[in-house]
Amino acid sequence: MAAVNRIGAIVRKDFKAFTRDRFYFFMTILGLVFYVAIYWFLPDSVDETIEVGVHGSVFAEALGGVTEAESQGMRVVVFDSPEAVEAAVAGEGETTVAMGFSFPDNFLEAAAAGEVTTVSVYVTGDLPPQLRSTMTGMVREIAFAAAGSELPVTLLAEEEIILGEDRAGNQVSLQQNMGPLLIFFILMVETFALAGLVASEIQSRTVTAVLITPVRMSEFLTAKSIFGTLLAFSQAVLLAILIGMLGTSTVALLITLLLGSLLVTGLGLVAGSSGKDFMGILFWSMLFMVPLMVPAIAALFPGTAAGWVAILPSFGLIEAIVRTTAYNESLVDILPYLAMLGAWCVVAFGAGLFALRRKVATL
Amino acid sequence: MAEPAIRVDGVRYAYGDIVAVDDVSFDVAVGEILGFLGPNGAGKSTTLKMMTGLLDPQAGSMTVLGRDMPGDKEEIQQQMGVCFEEKNLYLDMSGRENLIFFGQLFGLKNFEPDDLLRRVNLFDRRDDRAADYSKGMRQRLMVARSLINAPTVLFLDEPTDGLDPVSSQAIRRIISEEADRGAAVVLTTHDMLEADKLSDRVAFINEGRILALDSPESLKLAHGQRGVRVRARKGDAVEETVISLDAADAGDQIRAAVADEGLMTIHTEEATLEDIFIEYAGRGLE
Repeated sequence: MAAVNRIGAIVRKDFKAFTRDRFYFFMTILGLVFYVAIYWFLPDSVDETIEVGVHGSVFAEALGGVTEAESQGMRVVVFDSPEAVEAAVAGEGETTVAMGFSFPDNFLEAAAAGEVTTVSVYVTGDLPPQLRSTMTGMVREIAFAAAGSELPVTLLAEEEIILGEDRAGNQVSLQQNMGPLLIFFILMVETFALAGLVASEIQSRTVTAVLITPVRMSEFLTAKSIFGTLLAFSQAVLLAILIGMLGTSTVALLITLLLGSLLVTGLGLVAGSSGKDFMGILFWSMLFMVPLMVPAIAALFPGTAAGWVAILPSFGLIEAIVRTTAYNESLVDILPYLAMLGAWCVVAFGAGLFALRRKVATL
Repeated sequence: MAEPAIRVDGVRYAYGDIVAVDDVSFDVAVGEILGFLGPNGAGKSTTLKMMTGLLDPQAGSMTVLGRDMPGDKEEIQQQMGVCFEEKNLYLDMSGRENLIFFGQLFGLKNFEPDDLLRRVNLFDRRDDRAADYSKGMRQRLMVARSLINAPTVLFLDEPTDGLDPVSSQAIRRIISEEADRGAAVVLTTHDMLEADKLSDRVAFINEGRILALDSPESLKLAHGQRGVRVRARKGDAVEETVISLDAADAGDQIRAAVADEGLMTIHTEEATLEDIFIEYAGRGLE
């Protein structure tokens, strides 16, 4: 009981010190307001329609009024010259399109006669390569059909087979993708705050004043861990509430955030024990932050991450958040990711406690 | 014979290859003030860290209040007060908040720090942040913090270092009061005058070893000359003579010196603690 009271006294003292440190307190509040503002500013829906510009008498007439194509996510805009298509793709004309085709006037005749003809495909530099090859493939297919040949492929009765959940018309928005990144940022800000508190305790040697009272080293470390975890967890939960992420799979998300808070507390203890001053803390915090941010960035741009990202400590955290918030997966579904995160928590905490204990012993 | 409050027997501590404390032994009785004297790097602070439980001795043994240190560290620390050389206060907290926090760590229920703050003349500034205190005020707060639990053993590391005479005097008075209350006090200092004024016994430590351990009076008698130095004006000149107390006519010579109208000063020729330390260590305290 006495030990619990002592731990409680240290946690209360740390909370008081945190609220009185204007820099960290201001950073926390500012971060929270800033992240919430960013989140709600981002678009919450995805425009799935691709606008395609076409020049060429026959196809322009044929495609210009195709409503079926529009319903499948493609809108065709007809232009009267190849230059107009090029300008629209380059974003220089009155109308802007994502890509464009310019068919020569004798295209059908040439294709039917088996003669070589040229179709210009206009794309912007940032168009994904997969989409580029799809477009050129489409032109070849049209020429093939114009020549009177049947495609040497037998399609199944179904038009398409969707593996997993069909997200057509229900894509994850940029706003939703941004959520895990913001949660990650707020956790890292608290890492920085905890590291600052630990470093000041070491620098001013108040830790030795505490340790010659009946307070044991294990109690001191426990108090720091509790404070750091509570600080990070409360901020992360508050942010999750403010950006509306806590509505679905609540228990799964809370457990994920708690484990994430434990992870960053361990890292905060390492940074606080290793950094001798503000610049030292900044160095260590950034050293952790940059690689740990990779899975969060990958969540923002799905499909961009290499396989090795899965070994990063924050991968389990980000993956669990994405799956619970964007795909409504349950606690059971995300257990493998929580297990990965839990294992990294043990590693980070072990390293943090080792670094702090070692530092205190050398004072 | 009463059990000493502190008993240190042959302790040793080395930082890697550098031996900081080597085979140090001494004890401190209840209500006694032991002055621990030595230059910087002599091993005073390392010995203090071992006695307070911050370092475990690599050889030898220590008992504090009859309990094994570091084996019974928690029980001992409950009755121990420590004033460090570094002003390791929580600067963002007020003087009052600092004392209340440490009172909670000692498990003191409803601890009221105002009496302690009055005792160190900080009551009027009790709600100011420690960061706004002067050096002397911070030192007084450090002393107050070391007294929170009415300690039975009190360790003070350079408690008056760099302080003005008024603050130094106030702290010396408190140290004497604590010893009178029955606390065993270990006072680490390199201020020989302070040690001389306060200590019942002094230990000279240099290069990790204790060179001498006795009362200041005994040390001065053992190492000083038995004589008086007389300065008197003779015409336009000032003459200085030393009268040996062992001389057969010492009494007559002293009476004549006192009767001399030109007498300016007359002093005993006892050695200072600094002289004696130099004699033992071959070096001064700085």
